Amino acid sequence: MVDAARQPLIEVKTFTEVEKVEGYVGNFVVTLREKAKYVRADRCNGCGACTKACPVEIPNYFEMNLAPRKAAYIPMSQAVPLIYNIDMDACIHCYKCVEACGALEAIDFSMEDKLVEQEIGAIIVATGFGHFDPSPMTEYGFGRFPNVITAMEMERLNNSAGPTHGALIRPSDGKEPEHIAIINCVGSRDKRYNTSCSNFCCMYAIKNALLLKQMHPNTEISIYYIDIRTPSKGYEEFYDRARESGIRFIQGRPSEITEDPDTHQLFISSEDITLGKVIEREYDMVMLNQAAIPQPDQNHMSSVLNVAQSPGGWFMEYHPKLRPMDSPTDGIFFAGACQGPKDIPASVAQGSAAASRASRILHSDSWQIEPTVAVVWPDRCVSAKGQACGICARACPYGAIDYTKGLAAEVITAKCHGCGACVGECPHDSITQLHYTDAQVLAQIRTLLAIEPEKKILAFRCQWCSYGGADLAGTSHFEYSANERGLRVMCSARMDADLIYEAYRLGAGAILYSGCHPQDCHYITGQIAGAKRAARLEKMFERLQMSPGRFRVEWISAAEGDKYARVINEMQAALDAIPEDVLKAEIERLKPEMAKKLTKLGDVPGVAQAMVQVDFIVDEMLGKAVPA
Amino acid sequence: MSGFTDPNVLSERVKAIPGGDMLMLCYSCGTCTSKCMIQTKLESSYNPRRLIREAVFNMDDDAFADKTTWLCTACDLCYPACPQKIHISGVINAVKALAVESGKKNPYQVARVDESTCVACGLCVKICPYEAISLVEKRVPFRGTLTVASVDAGKCMACGMCTAACRSTSIRLAEDYNDAELIDTLLSWLGTERVFS
Repeated sequence: MVDAARQPLIEVKTFTEVEKVEGYVGNFVVTLREKAKYVRADRCNGCGACTKACPVEIPNYFEMNLAPRKAAYIPMSQAVPLIYNIDMDACIHCYKCVEACGALEAIDFSMEDKLVEQEIGAIIVATGFGHFDPSPMTEYGFGRFPNVITAMEMERLNNSAGPTHGALIRPSDGKEPEHIAIINCVGSRDKRYNTSCSNFCCMYAIKNALLLKQMHPNTEISIYYIDIRTPSKGYEEFYDRARESGIRFIQGRPSEITEDPDTHQLFISSEDITLGKVIEREYDMVMLNQAAIPQPDQNHMSSVLNVAQSPGGWFMEYHPKLRPMDSPTDGIFFAGACQGPKDIPASVAQGSAAASRASRILHSDSWQIEPTVAVVWPDRCVSAKGQACGICARACPYGAIDYTKGLAAEVITAKCHGCGACVGECPHDSITQLHYTDAQVLAQIRTLLAIEPEKKILAFRCQWCSYGGADLAGTSHFEYSANERGLRVMCSARMDADLIYEAYRLGAGAILYSGCHPQDCHYITGQIAGAKRAARLEKMFERLQMSPGRFRVEWISAAEGDKYARVINEMQAALDAIPEDVLKAEIERLKPEMAKKLTKLGDVPGVAQAMVQVDFIVDEMLGKAVPA
Repeated sequence: MSGFTDPNVLSERVKAIPGGDMLMLCYSCGTCTSKCMIQTKLESSYNPRRLIREAVFNMDDDAFADKTTWLCTACDLCYPACPQKIHISGVINAVKALAVESGKKNPYQVARVDESTCVACGLCVKICPYEAISLVEKRVPFRGTLTVASVDAGKCMACGMCTAACRSTSIRLAEDYNDAELIDTLLSWLGTERVFS
């Protein structure tokens, strides 16, 4: 941090919160709250006279509350910039610090928080992780037994700059512990608290044990574990070293810690899996290796930055394998554990990757995005006519649509990723998507259903998954019905109900509505919008007594070529099971029903014109006489 | 994957029984074993974790002969402690049901009905927490055909609730836990002597 602060091109803004992020890639406007320090940065020379004069003592958060600090303080000795700070929640306004500061006159009680707007090209989020509080796990007695401590408390106790100057003592009586236990997976890999593995704690436990052993060779250290995970280069050797140096590894998750109330000695009861026996051992001190969890205000940051969260609460990356440092929003990147628990080497690698991604943006005059962006027809948007709507803004997974009642909705093109969710959801057909306009898609539907439509299976596939699945079925030579006619859109969210109605109006035999599995969606929540619509359509077709199997919804990934072929074959079988005359009668019965729902489609710009051209092409294709 | 699994192997049969469905989630951390009162206070070879492994590896004979199958009282002390939220007594009960189904008898004592005095009042049926007792009609020596209580040895967990509830002392655990012995133990704890016979 000191190095970074010395760099002339790096400005470190400490004690500052991000209030609001607006704009888009290359042109963010970020509102920052610079909190009042009550000490003027331009005058404080970091002498510390105010701290010496301050009579207030409160627990020191940085020392895990193991030591006191004053109300006039610096959070830690390496603080950057080295400017003192007055904690107004603790201050008793005795003004002794003002006296001590004297002629410098650095202390200013009239200071207030400042809101600053800054223009930013790219944002790297590196907010780190939080620690699981083990007190709800009553079986381990944290908070009740003084000698049960957390990993962070151990870190401070064993630190030469810590409250004990590195002297390892146990909290109950200040004696040096001889038997120490470390319990792993406290709150992680635990469906009652956090399901996931916290990634680095095994190595962290081994590191701490080795460090303690080096400083205090006579201490006996045991590590309780479920599994020891040492997956990176050199890690297993480190584990070897720990065993060689006499650290005991006990496989078995402790079920309970009990305490002798007089001596505060601790007893851990666990099964030794390898022995198949329950063992109870006595310790002077127990360290709980807590789970790494998202920061307590991660949800708030997620809404400020408009980036989604993965299950578990971590920030969600664009793609878990190929773009782990990118957020789904262009221009926002992740570094380190805010995206998921990771150790120091992985955090450094991701940080460097994020920095180079960000510098690509800073060094470009223009920025390329997908060409399939959404565009609003302002004259068709009902919001411009004063109606309350905003459906498109709610549908957009990227917050790329500005909706103000009374004004036509506006797409922020640089934020749009081209999923088409807004287009599919807009009930007034007032938005279109370039390269997937209603006219273009309808023209494809008409052409695909030009000949014997009742025999055709029209398959709507999303670009990323089910289209890839169909492709794989082809390249793998999985045979499926030749009556399938595939049609690509970017996301299942774009599969507008109107398109389905039109296909049935044209007499389609069966329709497949397919897309990614929900966790694979390339547009954050696009598939969810698509799935909701599909469920609505299924219900409606059931009400209209459509034969089962004529409308099918399937989520098929790009790796599931066999599934694609199977689904199409099943649909063909379902279609074959309906007698021809029954099917034809049903199609004729439903045509007017579908037409009723399609009254607006003809007015959509380009559609009527496209239909004339398609009719011309289809007629020519069928060898019919071309009208003059 | 399911296509490759034989539904007749022990693990699949356990999974098919409600309560046994989470069997495969166990990662063998041993929390249940060290939490268990039976294991820590009574029987050191009792081990729910091992029983789950035996079920996972389809070791029918070992699982059915395991003390764990028969001694669990379903006190569910392990259930809230399990980090995988597996209902362990549910799994054990499923294994036990399969053991009984395959003709295995509970090797430990279960409640026994004295049919010569039972009046079929149904108190024991109501109080049994394991639904192990039912009223059946059968021929009883010297009493003819009549309704008496009957204990399902596969379900009985020998808790003794029925013994306590019975008004005619017609249902009891085996001799280890008869009333006289319990009272004597109690008195010896209290340091007093019996004043009645």
